[in-house]
Amino acid sequence: MQKLVAMLWKETRLRFSSPAEWLFFLILPLVFSVILAGGTGGQDDPRISLLVVDQAHSTLSRQLVQALEDTGTLRPQELEREEAEREFHDRNAVALLVLPPGFTSEAVQAGERFALDLRLLPNNTSALAVQQAVNTAIQQVSGALRTAGRSVQAAERIRPFTDNATRQAYYDAALRAAQQAWDSAPNRLVVRQASTPDEVDYDPQTNSSAGQLITWVFIPLLGISGSFVYERQIGTLRRLLVTPTRKGLYLFATILSNVLIALAQMALLIGFGTLVMNVHWGSSPAALAALLAAAALAAAGIGTAMGAFIKTGGQANGIAIMSGMLMALLGGCWYPIELFPPAIQNASRILPTRWAMEGILNLALRGQGFESVLPHIGVLLGFAVVFFAIGVARFRYE
Amino acid sequence: MKKILLIAWKDLRLAFRDRAALVLMLAAPFLLTLGLGLVTGRFSSTSNSGLSSIPLILINQDGGELGNALVDVFQSSDLDTLVDPVVQIDATAARAAVDEDQTAAVVIIPAGFTNSIFSATSTPVVPVEVYSNPARPTSSGVVQAIVEGFLSQVELGRINGTVTISQLLEGGYIQPADAASLGREIGQEPAGVNAPVTLSGRTDENTAPPFDVLAYMAPGMALMFLMFTVTNGGRTILQERVSGTLPRLLVDPVRLSQALAGKALGIYLTGVAQMLILIGGTALLFGIRWGHTNAVLVLVLAAVFGALGWGLLLTALARTQSQVANIGSAMMLVFGILGGSFVDIRSFPAWMQTAARITPNAWALDGFLALGLGGGMADVLPSILALIIMGLALFAITVFVFLRRGAFGHR
Amino acid sequence: MAPILEVRQLVKKYGDFEAVKGISFHIDRGEIFSLLGPNGAGKTTTISVLSTLFQPTAGDVLVDGHSVVREPMVVRNRIGVVPQELALYDDLTARENLVFWGQMYGLSGKNLNERVSQVLEEIGLADRAKERIKTFSGGMKRRVNIGVGLLHRPALLFMDEPTVGIDPQSRRAILDSVKELNRQGMSVLYTTHYMEEAQELSDRVGIMDHGELIAIGTQSELTRQVGENDALLLEVVECDDLNRLAAAVQQIPGVAQATTSENTLTVLAPEAEDILAPVITQANALNVKVHSVSIQEPNLEAVFLHLTGRALRD
Repeated sequence: MQKLVAMLWKETRLRFSSPAEWLFFLILPLVFSVILAGGTGGQDDPRISLLVVDQAHSTLSRQLVQALEDTGTLRPQELEREEAEREFHDRNAVALLVLPPGFTSEAVQAGERFALDLRLLPNNTSALAVQQAVNTAIQQVSGALRTAGRSVQAAERIRPFTDNATRQAYYDAALRAAQQAWDSAPNRLVVRQASTPDEVDYDPQTNSSAGQLITWVFIPLLGISGSFVYERQIGTLRRLLVTPTRKGLYLFATILSNVLIALAQMALLIGFGTLVMNVHWGSSPAALAALLAAAALAAAGIGTAMGAFIKTGGQANGIAIMSGMLMALLGGCWYPIELFPPAIQNASRILPTRWAMEGILNLALRGQGFESVLPHIGVLLGFAVVFFAIGVARFRYE
Repeated sequence: MKKILLIAWKDLRLAFRDRAALVLMLAAPFLLTLGLGLVTGRFSSTSNSGLSSIPLILINQDGGELGNALVDVFQSSDLDTLVDPVVQIDATAARAAVDEDQTAAVVIIPAGFTNSIFSATSTPVVPVEVYSNPARPTSSGVVQAIVEGFLSQVELGRINGTVTISQLLEGGYIQPADAASLGREIGQEPAGVNAPVTLSGRTDENTAPPFDVLAYMAPGMALMFLMFTVTNGGRTILQERVSGTLPRLLVDPVRLSQALAGKALGIYLTGVAQMLILIGGTALLFGIRWGHTNAVLVLVLAAVFGALGWGLLLTALARTQSQVANIGSAMMLVFGILGGSFVDIRSFPAWMQTAARITPNAWALDGFLALGLGGGMADVLPSILALIIMGLALFAITVFVFLRRGAFGHR
Repeated sequence: MAPILEVRQLVKKYGDFEAVKGISFHIDRGEIFSLLGPNGAGKTTTISVLSTLFQPTAGDVLVDGHSVVREPMVVRNRIGVVPQELALYDDLTARENLVFWGQMYGLSGKNLNERVSQVLEEIGLADRAKERIKTFSGGMKRRVNIGVGLLHRPALLFMDEPTVGIDPQSRRAILDSVKELNRQGMSVLYTTHYMEEAQELSDRVGIMDHGELIAIGTQSELTRQVGENDALLLEVVECDDLNRLAAAVQQIPGVAQATTSENTLTVLAPEAEDILAPVITQANALNVKVHSVSIQEPNLEAVFLHLTGRALRD
């Protein structure tokens, strides 16, 4: 026991002997969490900026801009064409909407059709939302026009108007009535988040914090073989093996200290998420702790098994960063797993990151309890057992 | 000059012989690009966003015309690849399926939905419910958008009907007895057909090739791991100092400045080779169109130059190899995320976008994007200039630091 | 009294390669025993098996009567090992290193602290105990490296080339400390490829080459193997007549033995100075061009040369 404590202490001292370790232990995970959570420090307008080129300057175009503003998700910004093009080209706005000359209610009344040009930045997650919001605004503005047009048609079919003035008056009355009807249209849609005991809303910060947590805890654990390589290289492992200390104790202590450090790291990151970013981690701390401990063991197991074919510290480091990032990406830690093709979603079940991430989301987003993550804990411990077995069996003391 | 080239050549060969370094230089950006390609659905032929076959459950308790119409919308061939709907009866079981993360959402059309819209007298609103899965925000968002679109059409039909009929009645065109049947007829006219205003949904620049998300991801990843190459190269300078090959170089009739220039050139060539291999490899294997060849080449030369500045500055400031290795890895990741390798920096707050400009990644990525979108040399000139200025400024600082700390920081 | 170390027919193979080919020797209590041999002779492999790091392929080793095969844990408590490399943690202080290794030897509490302080005194680093050893010179690190092996007061100390790559002053200090430890009653197994060290330190010497123990005994016993002869070494410019020269030299009165290897003619004679002139004359007669000539008094180097026909430091 005394030997175990001595080894744990030694590992910890060595790990944190360089201040640079803090970069990976705490600073980078926090930077990444904050940036990926949207980086909205709250000081900025959360609305998505939309460039509008209004070449019509008509009542209709102004109505549409107003309707865009009213959607609440968009921040329309009117610019001249060249300037807007330049801004869009420089990617200072997500979308660009062009209202062509002649975009007037008169033209619509006369039966002219307009296909508005909406350009969206590629690879932008907001694009879908922009398109949706613009469509809604168009629907609102043009809906009343269509209804008025319809009304006039229907009346004409029964009895033609005597003159244009009566016809226009009929149109105007119908338009007013339609606009009123739109304004008072009831909400016919209820969206309910899946039942969570305390009504947690989907929160991108939770997703990104959880994903970053897993990524940054996995990378050093996958690089655990680096400590084995280090002790092999400087000869301390050989020296240790001629002291009355069992080999197994050394392996156990090294792995345990890395897992303990990982748990401490997770506790700090969760604390930061809770206090600073208001991330909600679910209502079962015990379940979360068990899940994360299982995840850490799985990662440490894989890291130990990797030791069988890693020869230098540089390799351990490089392979840990690469495989950690890949596993995180494919396990859904960076982008929600739902975005992946179904085949990949199924295939990613072979990754511990997938199970860890899914478990955390069950707890944090769905507010579920311990029993919901039992399968995940089981699978992660399975990973740990299998890979520890491989790692220990193939461990090279020389 | 010949000596500089000899040292550079030696370093270039050593860099490509170091298998540990190759993992991060070539394998990591390649595999991550591949992974990102999978996320974005780049490799599935059916859809150009990653989403396809979103599982959802439809509960149609209404059974009226409109309820059935909504079910039809989800089952239409237009949405065939996007959604994968299942019609069920048991709402409780369906909700449970969402709770267990088996499906993305449940759409519940309650009894009386059709009637609540068609009845002339004002009846209580019967809303459609979308029960969404919080762990699949994008999928359930898509389902919600489809329902919203449908309801908006329904609303349009209803308003069409009621306004037209009331106008006709007011004008004495029809008798109240005819109103109901006529109203229903008008309301059911296909609403989408005659929409006067729609979105064209495509660019007016027909010359531009369709944008490929991988053409964004691939340079992002390549640039991130370029930072590894330059900082790792810097580490080898310190390594040679420790292992004594550098002093040996210095005893030879090679001056310090020559030795340093040779090392720097070696790192530069390694970086250029890395970028070109990645660009060539992704172009061949993933079919990425990088755009205008000469412009890509010039941009690569400038990007590696800017990145090299950071690598050398770090080397000049650091004292030990492990410092360079650790801070180098951190720098690679921070520059990666700040420079837009993971998420588009335009979604960041303004101050962060400004901060991103210190990274070579952001400038070079701008350039690669412009080229991927069909731009030419003129479009990437600002990026190239910025990268060259960045490189020169960092070189100047590096030389200053080297001189102040005594040649090579011998102390 | 039974010897502190007894090596019986020890064989160690790595795959097909036989690194140690069935050697036997013993070390008496209070003795310094040196294993002398060129690099690659199998010294480090031997020490590795003796210190329980590797299992022997065949044979056995008894330390204080306990087998390294059957009771490795008992053996480890009785031996101290000073490895060739600096097996220390650079980022820990001298004291922290010693405390850690002391704990690995099962020391604890007051006993541990006392031993660490004593060892720090002994290796002369008490005043720098709280500095990280990465700031130490090579010689100071060597001393800490030795100190670790002494913490648990082993009965037998293995030292594997402890003087490789350090300055003469530190080397002197290390040799002196080995003698001091021995004076206090510790038995020492010392490996080296420096003949002078073996000569200065050892009570007995074993000479190893190609995994075999080719000679063993006290220094005088070993030098007697080359007789009371000096060795005269003639290095010649490459020629085919070397064997003819050897045959001719053998006829010169006062020459005990003349052997050749590659471009060297080795002549053993009671008084080398007396035969130098005739040998050179003979060489001139046969038109063999002499590159250099040297004379060695009987020493371990000469023994090695006598047994292998090669110089120790080849």
